[in-house]
Amino acid sequence: MRDTSSPAATADRLTPEQIGHLRHFDNLSLLPANDWSLMQGMATGQDDFGAYRFQLAYMAYALAITHVHRLPAAPGVFKPIFERIIGKLLLPEVWLYWRDVSRGGSIFNSHLSERYHEEWDPVARDNIMYSAYVQSLVLLYNVLFDDDRYARPGAITFEHWSYFWGGDGHRFAYDQNTLNEHLYWKMVESGYLGVACEPNCIFQICNQPAILGFRMHDLLTGGSRAEEVTRGYEQAWAQFGRIGDNGHYHVMLSEDTHAVRPNAAQAPWVDAWCGALMNMWNGDFVRANYPQQLADLLLQQPDGTLSVKSAPRPPVKGHTVLNDDSDFGWVAAWASEMGDEETLRGLLQHADRHMAPQWRDGGLYYPRNDRTADADGYRTLVEPMTGNVLLGYARLNVRDGLRGVYEAPWSDGHFREPAIVAVGSGMDVLRARFDRATQSLLFALQARSDQPASEAWIALGRITGRGPWRLMFDVEQVAHGDDTTLKCTGPVSLQPTDCGLELHWSGQRVQIMQMIFEHDATAAPSP
Amino acid sequence: MRSESGMVNAMPGCGEFSLIDHFNRTVTEQVFRDEHTLVLFGFTHCRVVCPRSLARYAGVLDQLAGEGWPVRGIYISVDPARDTPEVMRDYLQPYPAFLGLTGDDAQIDQAKAAFRVFARRVSDPDEPNGYRVPHTAIAYLLDAEGRCLAHFADALAAEEVLDRMRPLLATQLRQSGA
Repeated sequence: MRDTSSPAATADRLTPEQIGHLRHFDNLSLLPANDWSLMQGMATGQDDFGAYRFQLAYMAYALAITHVHRLPAAPGVFKPIFERIIGKLLLPEVWLYWRDVSRGGSIFNSHLSERYHEEWDPVARDNIMYSAYVQSLVLLYNVLFDDDRYARPGAITFEHWSYFWGGDGHRFAYDQNTLNEHLYWKMVESGYLGVACEPNCIFQICNQPAILGFRMHDLLTGGSRAEEVTRGYEQAWAQFGRIGDNGHYHVMLSEDTHAVRPNAAQAPWVDAWCGALMNMWNGDFVRANYPQQLADLLLQQPDGTLSVKSAPRPPVKGHTVLNDDSDFGWVAAWASEMGDEETLRGLLQHADRHMAPQWRDGGLYYPRNDRTADADGYRTLVEPMTGNVLLGYARLNVRDGLRGVYEAPWSDGHFREPAIVAVGSGMDVLRARFDRATQSLLFALQARSDQPASEAWIALGRITGRGPWRLMFDVEQVAHGDDTTLKCTGPVSLQPTDCGLELHWSGQRVQIMQMIFEHDATAAPSP
Repeated sequence: MRSESGMVNAMPGCGEFSLIDHFNRTVTEQVFRDEHTLVLFGFTHCRVVCPRSLARYAGVLDQLAGEGWPVRGIYISVDPARDTPEVMRDYLQPYPAFLGLTGDDAQIDQAKAAFRVFARRVSDPDEPNGYRVPHTAIAYLLDAEGRCLAHFADALAAEEVLDRMRPLLATQLRQSGA
């Protein structure tokens, strides 16, 4: 288990930009059902790489990374957003594409179309590009927040009915365990090569989230599915190699012929997406190939910033392929996972200079721009996946961030430690970490200027049974108490609630706070 | 609202099939009834996985029999073209706890589907007849009703398998009143 409690492991408090990305994720998650404002890409029908499901899933992964590595004692910041993202992921608008894609007809499977049928259940066969995100998110939720709500029968239900067509509609009920079990056996049936996305297309990338899901299930159940699957995956891909002669990850494998589709054009998204994810369980391999792969893809620019060399997609049967490849965003996310700060800095400098960052409702994002480059040749293309999600993901990530989530998000006793368990819409949490050595909850807050002061509050939970405590603002004590008494002596309001103490504070600056406890509630009692 | 099944039949071992045992007798899934069964899939030309797996599980079944928990071994071929009943019988001679099952392509496909097993013939000039058959190397423990109680990945050592099987068998025997 990794020790996230020591001050040495402390990442600095969140920057205004990092807070801005979190707020943007929050803002998107708060949109009403089927309001996909700012998330609509250039393609039609949710069947491309910029689809809502990818934006939602990687926002959730970014939340997981940030919670685990930067704000481990602030589940209240992340849990509500995570829930809303899962809720959106289950909306028919997100998965209804599968009814059509399941019938085949792409250049990769048109010769097999006669054997395919229209499939409504979005997780029953193939479509790991959706099912694995549902599986990994609900299991991540359970691991991150110690809440098994998606384990209840029918907790994951795909449901569609229309007043205007389709008769009685469709309803497919799963839970986190039945879905995980189903995907595991699909993986076994594939000989561990992986489950297909579109029929007949096994992408390396899209099977990595399923492995994350297996690992989360193992953490919850004590199983070893992830180890079994990754070992089988290595053996199964050994005959093809995961990387082509040019040193870049293979894109996919045809299920029927076992023909590999190499990344001949050196498309950045292939390497970056695969590397950012596969680092979870295969870090040495990913790191060994990263420098050369990156060197082929990176573009040094006259203004000192960095960009990426996108590979133009050739027309197919006379048609232009519309797809949000999100090359730039994926390379930034990959660099962040590798801990390559120089590359990440160069890419973010480019984004800030040439991709028109915007603040909206307190959130930071880079708006969609379909124009490839400006008059000086600087890349201006921004897909919603890049602008809403991946640049925020990269800015919030730490070296081996997703890998840390995969290996062991929490040390023993994490869920018994004091934490910020709820947050009002008018408060930003910049730091939240419990330091076991001093039995202190260290946190930093800033009231939002664009929200009512009444919303500037947090709830401090898991604090009972720890004896007397003191609340400090920097070095000044502003309150003290214990399980039954409470006295405020400084500019703060504290009220007991069912889950602990509600803290109201509306100062205009970033306030560093520390709640120091006398007892370690997790320590064994004296004999 | 039509409620359609999610994939309830996630665990394998529930399907129907008909095969030929290594004594040339027709058997169905009923062969798994009335006693606990450990099921392996493989092929007799397998160089590494099957010999290792059969040796490991023969030892496991011997150990369990000695402890009063008899479990029958079943070895189902994924290479029916070469694995005739006679070939299976000869191959399994060193592993008397195992009964070999084979059949035609359609019969084998049905059995593979019942256990959600992967197997695929691939060309290999270094192999007899120019091919081998990579396959799922999972062992399935079925109860006396043919339900899958557990499955064991190939990486597990014999002792680990024994540690997992004993409580399952004990629970089953307690429930059956034996």
